[in-house]
Amino acid sequence: MRIEAKIAPIRKGLLEFLVLKIVGARSVYVPDILRRLADTEFATQEGTLYPLLSKMRREELVDYQWQESDAGPPRKYYRLTEAGKVQLAALEAYWRRINNTISDIGH
Amino acid sequence: MQRLSITASLNNNTLQFEEAAYLRLERYLAEASRTLEGNPDKTEILADLEQAVADQCRKRLRPDQSVVTQAELEPALLEIGSVEVPGATGATDRMARDAVPRLQQVSEGAWVSGVCQGLARYLRLDVVLVRLVALLLLLFTGGAMILVYAVLMLLLPYAPFEPGGEPVRNIPAKSRELVELLRAKLSAATS
Repeated sequence: MRIEAKIAPIRKGLLEFLVLKIVGARSVYVPDILRRLADTEFATQEGTLYPLLSKMRREELVDYQWQESDAGPPRKYYRLTEAGKVQLAALEAYWRRINNTISDIGH
Repeated sequence: MQRLSITASLNNNTLQFEEAAYLRLERYLAEASRTLEGNPDKTEILADLEQAVADQCRKRLRPDQSVVTQAELEPALLEIGSVEVPGATGATDRMARDAVPRLQQVSEGAWVSGVCQGLARYLRLDVVLVRLVALLLLLFTGGAMILVYAVLMLLLPYAPFEPGGEPVRNIPAKSRELVELLRAKLSAATS
């Protein structure tokens, strides 16, 4: 479908913003993030998420701590850093502005 | 005789695989490793993926089952998905990387028609070197090189214009016009 090809890069670009939002709400591990996105337009997979989280950690937006789990090995729990919180706030403000622009233009 | 199982260590999780499943997993991880080439977090991401594979396979094993087969591995890999690097544009990127390099003329920045630039791009050489060789051949062949150039100029397709590239004027523009005119006439004559 033509529209899908146009929307896909937008969705891809927004994934990092959504991950910031999810990690910003509370400390999570990867299956939590996958589950939160599963029923949305942004459903994604570990193959995409791990490289993205590694990049965000390198940019010092998120950080993780190892936590023991009842079953299996310790898990990486991600949370936002101060820089991550600042960036999330900036992105949310920017997103509101874009939204206004899109709904205002052409009317 | 058939090998029954292979023991693999996935991020320090020991799991038994049937040979076919083991080979499939090896391919998946090799592909992931290729995609992550040059990524500073490659080792860590691969460890995360191995952990994901181990978790997904364990989840799918029946209580009485100790060896992972393709029946568990395939859906596990499907759920994990292939590795995507953030910022890459997926399919187009892969196409650009895997495509066979095309021998084309490059109009932007050409001296005449862009044959030397095209050859340089194709052969991954400095265009200065290619032009130098072409000029030397021109001298030593007493001008016959001009014919070779003309043939290549007529035969080689033009590379698409780079978005945002500088406009093509003067000689390259004129030669391109000429070549395209000749090609149009040729195709009209043959059809």
